[in-house]
Amino acid sequence: MTEHFEGDEVLGPLAADLATASLALARRFAAGATLWCWAPGAPQHAQHVAVEFVHPVIMGKRALPAAAITGAGDDAVDALRSLVVPGDVITVLDADGDRRVNAVLRRAASWGVSTIWIGAGERPAAGAASHVLWRDGDPARAMYDGTVVLVYHLLWELTHVCFEHPGLLQEQPDDAAEVCITCADEAGVAEVVDVGAGTATVRTAGRMEHVDTSLVDTVACGDLVLVHAGTAISIVDESR
Amino acid sequence: MTDFLYPFIESEERDAPALLADLARSAESKARQSAELRSVTLSTQADVIARAADAMATRFAAGGRLFTFGNGGSATDAAGAAALFMSPLEGHPLPARSLADEAVVTALGNDVGFGIVFSRQLIAYGGERDIAFGVSTSGSSENVLAAFGEARRRGLLTVGLAGFDGGQMAVSPDVDHCIVVAADSVHRVQEVQAAVTLALWEAVRRALGAPSAPVTGR
Repeated sequence: MTEHFEGDEVLGPLAADLATASLALARRFAAGATLWCWAPGAPQHAQHVAVEFVHPVIMGKRALPAAAITGAGDDAVDALRSLVVPGDVITVLDADGDRRVNAVLRRAASWGVSTIWIGAGERPAAGAASHVLWRDGDPARAMYDGTVVLVYHLLWELTHVCFEHPGLLQEQPDDAAEVCITCADEAGVAEVVDVGAGTATVRTAGRMEHVDTSLVDTVACGDLVLVHAGTAISIVDESR
Repeated sequence: MTDFLYPFIESEERDAPALLADLARSAESKARQSAELRSVTLSTQADVIARAADAMATRFAAGGRLFTFGNGGSATDAAGAAALFMSPLEGHPLPARSLADEAVVTALGNDVGFGIVFSRQLIAYGGERDIAFGVSTSGSSENVLAAFGEARRRGLLTVGLAGFDGGQMAVSPDVDHCIVVAADSVHRVQEVQAAVTLALWEAVRRALGAPSAPVTGR
């Protein structure tokens, strides 16, 4: 157990990360988003987050749409792909970051959703999720000793504080990351939905686009590709 | 992926940074309350946790099973407790399951009433070697208390995890061991109830002869 001494910071930089994530989440809720909650190794946490938002423990707080993905196993990626609509938020509660978690987090931008990754232990690489809410400590124990529960309780509490500031709930352009990749001077991540001869239909930033695939090897449905100016320029290596 | 770092550069809402600073201070303050409550609770409740763990270990050693139950967030915490015993961080699994099966709970709730969704299951599953572990932040959830009553009649060991002042659970003759997280915030109570559950599991393992060294991560 981590001993706590008077004067220590409990959260450190996580406090500011929680603040930023909560305001972004409140803005997404205000714009009509659903929060999809997924905890592949500990589904009770996904259900706990969902019930916090749907049935607030404090009387008078609004019910917000949050739903747990449970029981999907290896099909969770397919379940989330089917359920999310652009503008939604996925929160992943998981300290390990296994293949499925990486698959969801990598695809989020192509689905047009933002992500909140909650866990503990070794911090994920920068940019692994839109918001990384990470605590120190043993990653396995953190799922059971209240360490992770505290993070999502605070996310809920701060999100509701944001709803007391309606003037600040208008989503900012940067929050939504709604950029047309065919116009922007950068490559975007896209997920292949359908494959043709030298072309593919891909989902990118939540929209369907047709892209030229003649520059890359054979693509298959579900592959992630980088798209620039209507052309798939590489296939994302998901072996790690 | 740096957009989340600078979400307000274009913002016309000039007091968003002030709100963010308030939110961060609030988060730190609440995290501190949670840490202090955990420290106090694990100290004040150490004896009852130890007694409950010894009694649970005796039941497990005799072939007993652990049934966990609660409502809402406490249902998920009860499920987490069952998962901890059943798929432990270390060592051998101990038989445990949560009573939150959606088919059974909705069948009982729809056909009879929500007050019996756990007690009726203990009639079906529970035996005198088993353990009933109920979680209620108020300590007074009707169906949790009803389950403890049924568990008592059937000879189960009863262990309760409550918040606030312990509510009805703290004074119920049906509860053998009642662990109370004495705080009036449901969230802070639940955070510390999780730590208590982990401490309980560790103490059960020790009582069953596992090494006393703290569990280390993967």
